[in-house]
This record gives sequence, structure tokens and C-alpha cells, in this order.
Amino acid sequence: MKHWTEGFDDDDADEPLVRPYTITGGRTTPERDDLTLITLVTVISEAPADNGPGMRRLQPEHRTILALCKQPLAVAEIASALNLPVSVTKILIGDLIEAGHVRSRPPLAFAQAGGLPGMSILEAVRDGLRKL
Amino acid sequence: MGFASSEPGVRAPLAVKILVAGGFGVGKTTLVGAVSEVAPLRTEEYLTHASIGVDDLEGVSGKSTTTVALDFGRITINSELVLYLFGTPGQERFWFMWNDLVNGAMGAVVLVDTRRLEVSFASIDFFESRGIPFVVGVNCFHGVRDRTQEEIRRALDLDPQVPLVLCDARDRAAGRDVLLALIDHLMAAHARTAAHPVS
Repeated sequence: MKHWTEGFDDDDADEPLVRPYTITGGRTTPERDDLTLITLVTVISEAPADNGPGMRRLQPEHRTILALCKQPLAVAEIASALNLPVSVTKILIGDLIEAGHVRSRPPLAFAQAGGLPGMSILEAVRDGLRKL
Repeated sequence: MGFASSEPGVRAPLAVKILVAGGFGVGKTTLVGAVSEVAPLRTEEYLTHASIGVDDLEGVSGKSTTTVALDFGRITINSELVLYLFGTPGQERFWFMWNDLVNGAMGAVVLVDTRRLEVSFASIDFFESRGIPFVVGVNCFHGVRDRTQEEIRRALDLDPQVPLVLCDARDRAAGRDVLLALIDHLMAAHARTAAHPVS
């Protein structure tokens, strides 16, 4: 006879104990759709004190993002550091943008228009790669 | 160069990205790791109805959420410009669902393994259909060059304008040269556009 737990998937062993969308308070879609994988996020000012006004609703993950983004970091890098899916990370970053704690810089948008990056960008990338 | 933003505080550089594609096991993450200044990072994404938008969900076996993972790296070009390299998920059907991955890419490197050229066909089809410029990197990591470049081109049905470069994805200099081939390719396309502007 099969034990009742047989067939239970054991693949979840390394999954976080908290379901990702719990961290976002159940929200599954970002309120802003302008964040991309390589949008760079930077802290505007020092992270406010723990009990500062407006900070009460912040999750530990929000604070981690603030600590990470003292230097500009891409959304994908933040998601990787938090070990959270990109879409969850975008919701958290959106909260911090909304609260005025971080600023985002969108990447160069040319492919959407079917265009090519400017020659000066290409030259800069080429020169940078040659130094590798 | 005036790429950086003019806002006060720490100035974020401008980010650009290149995709590294090809079938399973052709060396995508190896190439990313060889040229990246950090060990390849891994991130994952839920692809849901919401992120798929109007795309067709047929064939995703009724699941409303799929998780895909990808590896990426970064190369700081200078204080105003940073290049991200994204190894694409092996199954190309996910790319269509993940617009954020493909949108805004300068171009792509399609890696091929001469023993299994067919695993990279779908990547080539994808970039051709999307009009995204790409170069083909032939990963010769076995040290075996059993086919001539002309044979590989023919087998891949490659447009004559698409550069084909031999490389070893484990080698930093070789990986860099594949990326440089892509940049040269983009510059050539730029020059053609400038010579014959679309009116």
C-alpha cells in the first residue's frame, strides 16, 4: 500500500518558506510597467531610520533593496540577490519608487522601434570590450 | 559623452544588453561567465497570463504560471555605460512570452555546436523573424573543427550578411571577440542605414 505522502513532490525543498507574493501583500502585477530587467535602480538618499515615518509598511526585502542600491543596480541583479522572481522584485522596487526612496533609470530603448543604437554608444561598447 | 542622467546624487550609467542564445548545452552560460566581470548571476521569472499579454498560451499545457530561469553577467564599459549579457532560456517558446527579455537588446550572439547544429535553429529563426541583429559563434570547445565555415553556413541557411565566428566559449578573449564581431556588425548596419536612410 502506498503511503499517503508518496507522490508528494520533494522538489520544493529549496524553495523559500514564504511564498513570494506574500512579500508583496498579495499583489501579483507591478503598478508600474516601466521597469525592465536592466532598468538601473539607485537609492536617492540614505535609507531612513527603522521607525521613520512611512517606513512601517516596508518589508525586510525593501530594506535589502535599499542597502543593495547604494550603487546603481539592475532589476535583474536585485532579483538575483533577493532570490526572488523578477516580477515580485519589480513590485517591491515600485513601492520604493512610489515612496521616493529610489530612482530608476530606464535602459536605452531602440530595439522596440526597430532601430539601432547610436554610433557613439557602439563605439563606446567596442572600446570597452577591447580592454577586456 | 552625455549618456549619464543629469539628476543629483549617484549617477546611474546607461544600461544596454546583448542576448546570448542557442540551444541547450551549447555554452551560453559559459560564454557569459568568460566575459562577465562577476560570476554569472541567476534569476528567474514567473511567466503568467498577465506578463504574456496577448500572446498565445496554447501548448503550455493549461498552466497559468511557468517559471523560467536565466543566467546573466555584466561588463562595465565605462562610468556612463554598462553592458549586460543575458543567456536566454533554452526553450525559445518562452522568449515570446517574456518580452522584457528580448525588448531593448542591442543584438544577439547565437552559439552553435557543430555536432548539434539543429538545437540552435530556433534561435536563428527567432532573431530573423524579430529583425534583431545577430552573429553566430561556433563553439569549438572540443577542439574539433569537423566542418568548414561554408558547410556550417549552408547547414544553418545563414544570410550571407550574418557574421560567423569560431570561438571557444570558455576563453575570455574568444568570447570578447564574438561580442566585438556583433558590434562591428551593428556598426556596418548603421553605416548602411546612414547611406540609405529610410524615407
